Amino acid sequence: MENQLEQKMLNNPFAREPKASSGWLWQVFTGVGLVFLLGLHFIANHFIVKGGLRDFANVVSYLRNPIILVLEVLFLVVVTTHAMLGVRAIVMDFGLSDRIEKRLSQALTIIGVLTVVYGLWLTWTIIH
Amino acid sequence: MATLEQPLEKSKYRRAGRWFDVRRRKAGMWAYALNRITGIGLVVYLYLHLGVLSLLSRGPTSWDSFVSLARSPSFLTLDVILLAGFLIHGLNGLRVALTGFNIGVKQQKVLFSALILVTIVALTVAELKILGG
Repeated sequence: MENQLEQKMLNNPFAREPKASSGWLWQVFTGVGLVFLLGLHFIANHFIVKGGLRDFANVVSYLRNPIILVLEVLFLVVVTTHAMLGVRAIVMDFGLSDRIEKRLSQALTIIGVLTVVYGLWLTWTIIH
Repeated sequence: MATLEQPLEKSKYRRAGRWFDVRRRKAGMWAYALNRITGIGLVVYLYLHLGVLSLLSRGPTSWDSFVSLARSPSFLTLDVILLAGFLIHGLNGLRVALTGFNIGVKQQKVLFSALILVTIVALTVAELKILGG
């Protein structure tokens, strides 16, 4: 009976999680958000634009729309959070000690914040 | 001391990379591995994309010359690969979220087959649109 259960869990790797961690829940929330935000980003920047990419003037006028600006900044924050949590989940498979796990989380937080700051700076530079 | 630690280290790496080996594994493990492979690819792409966007800070000449290059067929083919990554990771991610909340656990294989089918159809349509101009 126990062996059968173990075999079932092996076949479904997602079942191995004892309980949903806050990292996993954030991964899900940001993932669902990304389905909409990335879809919007992709359609607005590549599908409805002639030639598949906006030229410089077009990018500037696009980002000067306040609604678009808010959505693009939100997209940047959500995609970076999702990416950092994903990297963390993969690295965590190495069975890290609590101390290294904490360091990893801190390092990924710093990388994530720097990524968002860079994105904000770039957006500001383009608009102005 | 080193002899005791070495096998431990080896087993740690073997365990960490176990998800990558999908031989003789069922659909659930294939989905798990696909999600991670596409995820790693998309993280790499995110930073490449942010790097390329820095051209915008250099003004219209730099950006517009990149746009002309990016409209070439070889670049557009890369777009199709990127879209495949988005579709697989996004749809599979939704499936993972559902099963994680105990929704559709018994139907996960059907969901996986459905997402692959939707990916193929969406990719075909997108490919025609992207490469067709």
